[in-house]
Amino acid sequence: MLKKSISNMSRMKHVFASVLFLFAALAVAQDEVNKEREPGHLNQSKFKQLYEEFATPNTYRSASGAPGPDYYQQQADYKMDIELDDKNAKIYGSETITYTNNSPDDLTFLWVQLDQNVRSKSSKSPLRDGEGVPLAEPVAGFAKKYMTSTFDGGFNIEYVRGANGKALPYTVNQTMMRIDLPEILKSKGQVSFSIKWWYNIPDHTVDRARSGYEYFPKDGNRAYVIAQFFPRMAVYSDIEGWQNHQFWGSGEFALPFGNYEVNITVPADHILDGTGELQNIKEVFSKEMISRYEKAKKSYDKPVIIVSQAEAEEAEKGFSDKKKTWKLKAENVRDFGFATSRKFIYDMQAVKIGNRDVMAISMYPKEGNPLWEEYSTKAVAHTLRSYSDHTFDYPYPKAISVHAKNQGMEYPMICWNYGRPNEDGTYSDRVKYGMISVIIHEVGHNFFPMIVNSDERQWGWMDEGLDTFMQYMAEQEFGVAYPEAIVPNSKYPSGRGEPSKVIPYMSGDQSTIAPIMSNPENVYQLGNNAYAKPATALNILRETLMGRELFDHAFKTYAHRWMFKHPSPEDFFRTMEDASAVDLDWYWRSWFYTTDYVDIGVKGVKKYYVSDKPTKQMRELMAERNIKEEDLPPLVYLAEEDSEDFDANLKGKAPTENSKNLTEFMMDNMSAAERNAVVEPKYFYEVTFDKPGGIPMPLIVEYTYADGSKENITYPPEIWRKNDKEVKRVIASGKELIGIEVDPKAETADIDTTNNSWPMKEVKSDFELFKENIKGK
Amino acid sequence: MKFKKKSLLILLLPLLAFTVAHKFYLSVTSIEYSEKDKALQITTRIFIDDVDKLLMERYDIKGNLATMEESSQANEYIEKYLNSKFAIEVDGKNVAYNFLGKKYDNDVVIIYLEVPKIDINSVSSVSVQNEVLMDMFEEQKNVVHFRILGEKKSFVLIRENNKGMLNLK
Repeated sequence: MLKKSISNMSRMKHVFASVLFLFAALAVAQDEVNKEREPGHLNQSKFKQLYEEFATPNTYRSASGAPGPDYYQQQADYKMDIELDDKNAKIYGSETITYTNNSPDDLTFLWVQLDQNVRSKSSKSPLRDGEGVPLAEPVAGFAKKYMTSTFDGGFNIEYVRGANGKALPYTVNQTMMRIDLPEILKSKGQVSFSIKWWYNIPDHTVDRARSGYEYFPKDGNRAYVIAQFFPRMAVYSDIEGWQNHQFWGSGEFALPFGNYEVNITVPADHILDGTGELQNIKEVFSKEMISRYEKAKKSYDKPVIIVSQAEAEEAEKGFSDKKKTWKLKAENVRDFGFATSRKFIYDMQAVKIGNRDVMAISMYPKEGNPLWEEYSTKAVAHTLRSYSDHTFDYPYPKAISVHAKNQGMEYPMICWNYGRPNEDGTYSDRVKYGMISVIIHEVGHNFFPMIVNSDERQWGWMDEGLDTFMQYMAEQEFGVAYPEAIVPNSKYPSGRGEPSKVIPYMSGDQSTIAPIMSNPENVYQLGNNAYAKPATALNILRETLMGRELFDHAFKTYAHRWMFKHPSPEDFFRTMEDASAVDLDWYWRSWFYTTDYVDIGVKGVKKYYVSDKPTKQMRELMAERNIKEEDLPPLVYLAEEDSEDFDANLKGKAPTENSKNLTEFMMDNMSAAERNAVVEPKYFYEVTFDKPGGIPMPLIVEYTYADGSKENITYPPEIWRKNDKEVKRVIASGKELIGIEVDPKAETADIDTTNNSWPMKEVKSDFELFKENIKGK
Repeated sequence: MKFKKKSLLILLLPLLAFTVAHKFYLSVTSIEYSEKDKALQITTRIFIDDVDKLLMERYDIKGNLATMEESSQANEYIEKYLNSKFAIEVDGKNVAYNFLGKKYDNDVVIIYLEVPKIDINSVSSVSVQNEVLMDMFEEQKNVVHFRILGEKKSFVLIRENNKGMLNLK
């Protein structure tokens, strides 16, 4: 092709080259100030892939985010005999742990978690925070701090014995106990050992412990919610080796899966339920209870009362000296918890999940009524359906919601939830929605982290964030399923999940914000850090960035891949990309690895008209380079309305009316029919968008034209990849542009909307709006 | 001064961390100046159930706020209560405010108050005394944010320390 060129064409080519050169010079010209040569820099692109942050994929964990071919996890099976001493609030247990080493490593010792030691007299948890003398202190707080004796709630270990009955040497370091094995536990080998222990049960209403009792002075009873109450195996994994980070109080639990057989002896007049299936129903249920239970198994639309309020009130007076043993068996769970009291009212119903029946169950003292009878089991059943829809069918046989004064805490198949009406039985919406929300949240934890078993000790957000996100969806679906339950609201009043709700946190004082990817012990605001922000980030991904179809498939893929396994953050991040083909490294980087916030605005708009005459800037350059107009190929110029290039005659005309060059080009290159089909834009705008915030987000723009019509364009987040601060777009339109709004539906958690409109809108304060509103009435 | 502000913030933080699971006693008030209206504009956000409880215990009124059966006396008594527990001083002198009304946002009631006819340029200090709900709940904390003429200041007020002041000159 090159050789074929005729002289005319070669001249054209020369001119083109020089014009290109000219334009290049123009672009550089502005920067040609004499300044020192700048140093180079590393790749600072926000769109750089996360190779440095992520662990290298290996045969345990694949680059796709799925478990690799050599993925392994340890197993810990428990046989336990537990006895509760109700009079003295003590609990005694002996347990045999059978530990299977599926790892490729040989182990010389095991780590067992003694979580109750966080409440031992020698606990270091109360000592780990700095404190100063406050200006003043509420009396109750002062009294609690300085005027009480310390409660000793740590474990008392009576023995640790091997399978042969011989004592095993052990060392306790705070909340962790190392057991030294007499023989190496080989890869694929198994070891059994027993521990006998007891401890004083704390009053969980005093220091908001996750486990303990509430004492009811009016009738002298206690209601127990008991968890992390037995020495539990730590996790040994390809990521951490032993996860033996101490339990300080905020970072929750990391636990291997296993099977449990647990016998719990309590006063004979207690009602008890817990993780697993009851093995001896005939020994512990009355005939009446059994026949009601049979009815409940067939009741899919509403709960059947197994123990009524009247019966519970009668039981409260008993204080039996006799004992009863409840036998529970659970398969493939990571933990075990139970609740027991004379005070419990007990109801349940069946829920169809796939082709299986699951029992939704509630236990509550009369102090929870009438609220609990009406909503608890309903919320449990709804949660199982909603979460199963979005992940996998709930695999366990039951889910229990237990009323506890100010607890919201989760264990496999059982959780404690707050929400207590006033003494006269009335309750506010705040109490009602707080209760439904916490039940959804805690029952939802069965999915994350009880089944998708992430490491809570290290990554609070992996279960709390994902669960709060799921909670938001389940709450919204609850409002749709039970509109009568949320009257007069038209949608469920979720406290977290919507982008606007996270703005106060993300725009807050940077010295009290930590990235989501932080250990839960080291963050300043755990609720925002591990719950609200990741939940909102996922909600924005689903609704705005990926769309429901792509997101839901990817999220489900993650849940299925890691069901009954131990995922890491990378496994989640990678799977979401792997199953969707959406590059999300920049999103994880900004939202999860930094404390950046979103702030995108429209900075300015310039209006242009098509012209045949070179603009002033062009003329100056031509003079500088000694180029004449006739040397140039046919060009089209755009004259800015506010510049001296502007001529009023250009206004309101089509480009072909203003540019002969353009008309000629069209005549030469287009047929008459093609020319007729062209709708010529009359208005040209250069819009400058800026991004004071650190997070690159899609640039969502609504353009409004003089005829009132609107056009919505979403520029992908990659629009910020070459300039993270500012970007321009040209709008060519047949209609005059009169307004621009960035993020008109408030989808991105933009922390400052005063810069979101052109022309700059006066953003009215909430106060002004309220005043106008009352004037109108 | 800087130290003081920090220590107050730290007092508040553990409280915020447990919004998930626990009932806490808090109100948030913002005091701003409107150039346009020449007025101090005040919004106070209080939990609805706390106000309901207050109306019941102090005035024996079933408030039923934010429900169809809301008491017709609710506004009157909320205003009366505020007048006894919430005071604004300009240059050390008590000033009256107008109770404009209230609206609801989820579980919170937002109350709108306005101190009219203020020429901020001649004002050297604005202070607030906020004892709202401290008669009800020992743990009550009232957060107050001032934002006037670009000056920002925040206080966490408790029973033993119920006043905050913003100096403008």
